[in-house]
Amino acid sequence: MRILTTLLIASFPGSIFADWETNMPRGVTPTSEIAYDIHMLIFYITVVIGILVFGAMLYSIIYHRKSVGHKPASFHESTKVEIIWTVIPFIILVGMAIPATKALILMEDTRDSEITLKVTGYQWMWQYEYLEDDVSFFSKIDTASNTARRLNSGLDVFEVDDYLRNVDNVVVLPTDTKIRILLTASDVIHAWWVPELGGKKDAIPGYINEMWIDISKPGIYRGQCAELCGKDHGFMPIVVKAVPKDEYIKWVSIQKDEKIAKNR
Amino acid sequence: MNTYKKTYIALTFAVLFMFSFSYMLVPLYDIFCEITGLNGKTNQERVIVDKEEITDRYVTVKFTSTVANSAPFNFEPIDREMVVRVGKVNNTFYTLTNNSNTIKHATASPSVVPGEHAEYFKKIECFCFSQQQINGLETKELPIQFVVDTDLPKNIKTLILSYTMFNTTDQVGSN
Amino acid sequence: MSTNIDKLHDDHHHTPSGIMRWITTTNHKDIGTLYLWFSLLMFFIGGFMALVIRAELFQPGLQLVIPGFFNQMTTMHALIMIFGAVMPAFVGLANWQIPLMIGAPDMALPRLNNWSFWILPFAFTMMISTLFFESGGPAAGWTLYPPLSLQGGDSMPFVILSIHMLGLSSILGAINVIATILNMRAPGMTLMKMPIFVWTWLITAFLLIAAMPVLAGAITMLLTDRFFGTTFFTASGGGDPVMFQHIFWFFGHPEVYILILPAFGIISTIIPAFSRKKLFGYDSMVYATASIALLSFVVWAHHMFTVGMPLAGEIFFMLTTMLIAVPTGVKVFNWVATMWRGSMTFETPMLFAIAFIVLFTIGGFSGLMLAMVPADFQYHDTYFVVAHFHYVLVPGAVFAIIAAVYYWLPKWTGKMYDESLGKIHFWLTTIFVNLTFFPMHFVGLAGMPRRIPDYAVQFADFNAIASVGAFGFGLSQLMFVYILYKTLKKDVTAEDKVWDGAEGLEWTLSSPPPYHSFNVAPKID
Repeated sequence: MRILTTLLIASFPGSIFADWETNMPRGVTPTSEIAYDIHMLIFYITVVIGILVFGAMLYSIIYHRKSVGHKPASFHESTKVEIIWTVIPFIILVGMAIPATKALILMEDTRDSEITLKVTGYQWMWQYEYLEDDVSFFSKIDTASNTARRLNSGLDVFEVDDYLRNVDNVVVLPTDTKIRILLTASDVIHAWWVPELGGKKDAIPGYINEMWIDISKPGIYRGQCAELCGKDHGFMPIVVKAVPKDEYIKWVSIQKDEKIAKNR
Repeated sequence: MNTYKKTYIALTFAVLFMFSFSYMLVPLYDIFCEITGLNGKTNQERVIVDKEEITDRYVTVKFTSTVANSAPFNFEPIDREMVVRVGKVNNTFYTLTNNSNTIKHATASPSVVPGEHAEYFKKIECFCFSQQQINGLETKELPIQFVVDTDLPKNIKTLILSYTMFNTTDQVGSN
Repeated sequence: MSTNIDKLHDDHHHTPSGIMRWITTTNHKDIGTLYLWFSLLMFFIGGFMALVIRAELFQPGLQLVIPGFFNQMTTMHALIMIFGAVMPAFVGLANWQIPLMIGAPDMALPRLNNWSFWILPFAFTMMISTLFFESGGPAAGWTLYPPLSLQGGDSMPFVILSIHMLGLSSILGAINVIATILNMRAPGMTLMKMPIFVWTWLITAFLLIAAMPVLAGAITMLLTDRFFGTTFFTASGGGDPVMFQHIFWFFGHPEVYILILPAFGIISTIIPAFSRKKLFGYDSMVYATASIALLSFVVWAHHMFTVGMPLAGEIFFMLTTMLIAVPTGVKVFNWVATMWRGSMTFETPMLFAIAFIVLFTIGGFSGLMLAMVPADFQYHDTYFVVAHFHYVLVPGAVFAIIAAVYYWLPKWTGKMYDESLGKIHFWLTTIFVNLTFFPMHFVGLAGMPRRIPDYAVQFADFNAIASVGAFGFGLSQLMFVYILYKTLKKDVTAEDKVWDGAEGLEWTLSSPPPYHSFNVAPKID
């Protein structure tokens, strides 16, 4: 069966382009790095526990079977053992809770942000407002993806650049700046998520949520809506372009000029 | 047989209790929100300030707005940002424009970040306390009078007030 | 199954024959059988929907269905599998086994028992029929989060009514189970001498009584919000959409344990039988089950860490959630200790039970990872979560149900299933279940959100593997149906004590057991 599967996979056009990414990205913000570290820590802990438990089980399955003539022992309780395997996991858990709590305190601290970006979820696009600079625009899936994604569009999605991960207007943000992101929605609940910039947060109609990011590396970071928001939930990507501060300031002034020109 | 009956009665009551408990969760949730500042809910009723206790502390208050469900409104804060003295009463307003030709009713829902400090943002007067009626193509100024409580923790330097304007015309019609 | 039980009617008992017999039956075995067949049917309907989903996700781009229909499929798949397949299967097992295991003639409330089953076909007919509405079936996910669920078409009131009926059915079933266990045990069977399956079901029944009415409340609020102008979940009227999530998950988390505790009971029955050794730490198993049940009421918000909770709330729910790992760990350790130095054989029920322990534990590990809030901000609403809950529900709950059916089938029908076919069924099921769900961990971590009909091309390979696995898994279950058919067609009768290592009152009865299980209560020392 597995051979058959491998053959099937090998015949996909996707295999030429797709990669075999299997882990969480480490990301480029303090929050994404912390999430990654905690993720790896707990992953390794579960691997160790798994090896011990499954190892004991496998040993038992191999050596304590009737077919090798093993006679059943008669023990069936031991308070001492029960206490040991209640207390030890408990201690491990406390050990894991400490770094997780520390991380949370850092993640929830939005104070001293320099820029406020307000993100509003709509069915099915995003609105971005730079509160300090009075710049705002909508951002939705790019035309190429949007045409190719139609049922039986006849287009090969592997030919589309960044299929489902590209937008018409990208969000430009400065690097090395603490940015407060406000989240709300106009209609239903959405969630704004760019994996490399850290976790997601829900955008809830009528209420406002906040999170913060501080991007350490210029680049293009892609994500998408992460809360079921109706039929086109899968088609509201997010693209963040992180640029050095001076470049960002230039970008903002161009946006402002355009706005003035438009209003004239 | 008697013990059977007892079991049934007790269990039926347990079911009824849990059903009503789900409704009791509604006021409990509000209390919970008030204590923890969940969702940045602010006071929904007038706060009366007899005497201002003006301090030398300054905080930045930012204002933002959202129109719910793409209603035919323009809804904007007139001040995007105010640097206010803690304890001093301040005034500002939002403008609401009805882009349609018909009379609309609108209700605003306030929300403050950081949520756990929403309780220190006290509204003396606010358009969000009541429903607004607005004629077709009319623009209205909606005032807010507020004070930042002197108990606001020292390390908080920014509060953001957000209003979402809902078109509640349908609800008025059905009442 | 039917023909056999027919022959065994007591002389003084006249029940109608044919279809009327099944409609009017108040016999715990008949009703158990009805539940189990119904659950199997729902398993295939829900499974078919899963295959529609996996077929669409086989490759990026939309090839088969439009996004709106895709969402209806994910929503209905969940509702049917939870309320139609897993829960009725457990109730069916409870109906068959509890009277047999505690030495009772029947359930305490036979007529109520009949009603609680016959509500189900009507409820599901109504729910599934919404798919043929012009505006389609429910598409907001089985969690029915407002405001999205309030946007739903005409299906919404029908779906809510059918969920109410399902809730009523479960509550009636739970009352029956509690009344039976508390009042009808054989003399001498104290609570701490009850078979562990009975214990887990007793606790599950209490969870049902506490949780299902809360779900009823939550969906009633949705209904009045939609049609009667209340604003429980709308900010314009002072309501809050997040409150729905709190109330829903206050039901939803206990519900998760409703779906797994009886499975723990089954595994704790099967492992000792095939290890030829008593269950290790019976008392601690009971306490662990009870503490899991209690903790389930204080962890609900871990399903919604991203809604923007206060820091204290996040820390509280993280700690309580991690705490659940302790009693769950005790259970796994006890199972391994039961196997340790036993004298094991590996018949089909045992194979499924061992696979349960390994794969459920993997699901438990990913659950522990999800409890870590900082990392959960990344995991939340991705395929990692999908992988997690399918690992605890498919190789968890479903494997336990299949194991239970293989284990007790000879007792119920008096006929032995084909052991080598059973083993082939096991291996196919286990290989394909992993092929389906393991790659989902990877795509989830790499950034693929759940509930999307189409995805970016970098997720293509793992999705293709998962789809192949899903079809393999689905087809393997046809083999299960064939095994059941073949068993029922057989003439050879099984022994009364089918498994030499099995313990419990059910094995003292004939195979199949008499129509009224214990007319004279057995004595327990």
